[in-house]
Amino acid sequence: MSAVVAPESTPQPAVRIADLGMVYPGGVRALEGVNLEVEEGEFLAILGLSGSGKSTLLRCINRLIDPTEGKVWIFGQEVTALSGGELRRLRRQVAMIFQQFNLVRRQTVLTNVLSGSLGRSRLLPSLVLSFPPNERDRALQNLERVGLGDRAGSRADALSGGQQQRVAVARALMQEPRLFLADEPVASLDPALRHSVMRHIEALNREEGLTVICSLHDIDLVERYATRLVALRDGRVVWEGLPGDFDRGTFKEIYGEDAEPASNTGF
Amino acid sequence: MVAAPNHTGSGNGWRKSLARLQAIGIDAVLIAMALLMAELLIVAFSGRRGPTGLLLSAEEILDLLHYAWAALAGLALAVVWHLFHRWLGATPGRALVVGVPEWERDLEWTHTLRGWFAAVFIELTFFAGWLITELDLVAFLTKFSKARDIIYGLAQPSSSVLHEGLVLLVQTIFLAFMATAFAIPVAFVLAFPSARNLTRGSTSARIAYTVARTFMNFVRAVEPLVWALIFISWVGIGPFAGVLALWVHSVAALTKLYSEQIESIDDGPMDAIRATGASTLQVLRYGVVPQVIPPFLSFTIYRWDINVRMSTIIGFVGGGGIGYILKPRVDLGEWGEVGTLVLLIAGTVWLMDIISAKIRERIV
Repeated sequence: MSAVVAPESTPQPAVRIADLGMVYPGGVRALEGVNLEVEEGEFLAILGLSGSGKSTLLRCINRLIDPTEGKVWIFGQEVTALSGGELRRLRRQVAMIFQQFNLVRRQTVLTNVLSGSLGRSRLLPSLVLSFPPNERDRALQNLERVGLGDRAGSRADALSGGQQQRVAVARALMQEPRLFLADEPVASLDPALRHSVMRHIEALNREEGLTVICSLHDIDLVERYATRLVALRDGRVVWEGLPGDFDRGTFKEIYGEDAEPASNTGF
Repeated sequence: MVAAPNHTGSGNGWRKSLARLQAIGIDAVLIAMALLMAELLIVAFSGRRGPTGLLLSAEEILDLLHYAWAALAGLALAVVWHLFHRWLGATPGRALVVGVPEWERDLEWTHTLRGWFAAVFIELTFFAGWLITELDLVAFLTKFSKARDIIYGLAQPSSSVLHEGLVLLVQTIFLAFMATAFAIPVAFVLAFPSARNLTRGSTSARIAYTVARTFMNFVRAVEPLVWALIFISWVGIGPFAGVLALWVHSVAALTKLYSEQIESIDDGPMDAIRATGASTLQVLRYGVVPQVIPPFLSFTIYRWDINVRMSTIIGFVGGGGIGYILKPRVDLGEWGEVGTLVLLIAGTVWLMDIISAKIRERIV
């Protein structure tokens, strides 16, 4: 936890969310009155049932979805007020990985990783899949880093789920991000492989002080990796605290009276 | 997620009345059609004869029908049905646009007026169709002898036209190829604004969608034969006019196929590329294009195949290719030569079908 920067030295939180609300065009309300601050260097886990608004919240932060109410600031810049080129410049600092990996399945692992540098590449060369040599070197380094240096030439869909998610992490690293958003990064992986992905995200957080916001629904993982928790229910923040504060009562409060922890987590 | 109660407020009432109007409109049309078909059947079976003393032809009966009255009666009945829909059950239009109330959903069709209406409507369509297209089973079953010459001729192809036919067959294949090749880049560019999922973002994107779609539908609605006539008077009789005619039609057809393919892609990769700060063109290049290239190729080969078949017909009116020498032989009744040409075309189409199927298997 040495990498956590003291609040005094960073007057701006990494992310500030004020009164965020989202109603989808069909009239479905996904978020309501969400207020949240994430300090630089935190590993914030977002908990909640499917449909509780976790995904929508993450996507409102980098504006993959435009929220219908409220404001979001990233490193002091109001994301909800940006458009066009400004928004794209801000997004370069914000990496994101997804539950379904969202790799381009027919392309090689290397091209998938290189696409993480699109935000700063020149338009015309990038349209013919031409990247400068230094970007290629960095892509290979990032692949090494997630342990897939030997798979650069494979097609993305030839890899296992865990490997694909690590490719997605390498793609995210190409952005040299300051903020890392992860939307259920391990939910579609075999439980045995979850740590293989989470460890890389943890390393980014602990060793490089990257701010991580990660939605998770596995309590084990939350306890092990997060520095702080936020729980959503029906689109509202219903609980905030530290991993140690999380007990059976809180669990019922978030997941409802009928829920039971899926595995023995010690409480 | 939580359903927001009455979130859209005032917009809702307006939208509801629009939906009701739509429903009444649909019902009015359906009922008017049913009435007209019923009238057609009554007139046809009344045994009325025209001024020549013969039974009325389908065209003459269609000309006699009371369209305005049917429209009025349809509208009136539709309105009445809507007013009493609580007792009569939802109308077909309501079921389509507004939805069916809970208690009606589990009913058998025989227990709803809508079900009976649909049943009668389908019956009427079938019988009216029989009369309008003047189906004549007797002629079909008893007058085969008149076509015998043609079928015998086709079965005994003559070799006199083989050489000329082969030469023009090559032209036909290339004609279809050039039309397809020129259509690819245009259709590729037009496919993106024609895809619904890429054009939801802004008003200008939605306008581009509407313009592209309307234009393409118009072009597709005009038969290639008509395009051929236009281009023949433009660039003169010959294969180039055929290329242009098939090109225009292929652009429209491929745009539609391509854009439907774009609409069915996984938008996950698009989100991921967008999240890196990539621009719209880069998102299309990295998030969309790699997903659609193989199906695009497959559609394109299929289109070439179709174009070979179509170029025969285009040749009939002077658009070059093998159809050009087929037409006079049909007119003169040289059935042996026609048989040779038909066999050449059929063989080519068969071969192309096999090859394109193989290639498509490989790609997808």
